[in-house]
Amino acid sequence: MNLYKYASPATFYPLAGKMIPFFAITSAILFAAGLYWGFFIAPTDFQQKDAYRIIFIHVPAAWMAMLLYVLMAAYAGIGWAFNARLSSMMASAIAPTGTLFTLISLVTGALWGKPTWGTYWVWDARMTSTLILFFLFIGFISLQSAIDDPRRADRAGAVLALVGVINVPIIYFSVQWWNTLHQGATIRMLGKPTIAAPMLTALLIMLAACWLYSVAVVLIRLRCIILEREQNASRFAEVGV
Amino acid sequence: MSGYGFYVWGSYIFSLVLIVWEVVSLKQRKKALTQQQSSNTVPASVLRGSANETTS
Repeated sequence: MNLYKYASPATFYPLAGKMIPFFAITSAILFAAGLYWGFFIAPTDFQQKDAYRIIFIHVPAAWMAMLLYVLMAAYAGIGWAFNARLSSMMASAIAPTGTLFTLISLVTGALWGKPTWGTYWVWDARMTSTLILFFLFIGFISLQSAIDDPRRADRAGAVLALVGVINVPIIYFSVQWWNTLHQGATIRMLGKPTIAAPMLTALLIMLAACWLYSVAVVLIRLRCIILEREQNASRFAEVGV
Repeated sequence: MSGYGFYVWGSYIFSLVLIVWEVVSLKQRKKALTQQQSSNTVPASVLRGSANETTS
């Protein structure tokens, strides 16, 4: 099977249409399961009481924000380097969802900060670098919107996205590199997580739900972008999707 | 919610509103595009010639 044929927007369009229902339905089921687990099975924290339950949306959103930025930059870079239209379109499709998760991360973090730290916001390294990530997403979208020629817009966006990737490790390691108010990592790549198993389960289910949701909405947006960008876009409708 | 209802529910409601907004706005965008394209269709046979095109 020749997988390269799916690098063509015309071929990928119907494939994406077939994948969307799977990701959307699975995501909805996992959101329901994750919220049930997080609110009814995970125990109350002895220190933060029920305020800690914000973790089940805050942490997956923060992880998704960073992951989506890296993916967006990678697709933009591939699109730029290899002149692959679908990759550039994918980067454009990822950006709004990345912005959404960054905003969720910032707002839920502020709402968690008030009862635990006594303030909604401090110019702490983790929070400031996440705010910069939000501005990078907004900058990417604005830059692409400001340029009429899609190919030039893709190239300009790719430069910004690739330069901004440096911010992702800064966000991740900020709690180690600087003395911050934000707590350290609860789940580490190496070593045991410092969180109870029922809480971790809910967190991972919500992360999977957010991930599948992102795939579904990015594919929907990608199909819209393909339709908008292709000069003879009506042909896609004719092929029957 | 141990007196933290505003913060906990506020977080989830805010997230839900954003997610619903994203889904609805995408559905509207797709619907508008489909309507726009339906008046300007080209035979499928014309399409097949460009199926292997990955770059312009």
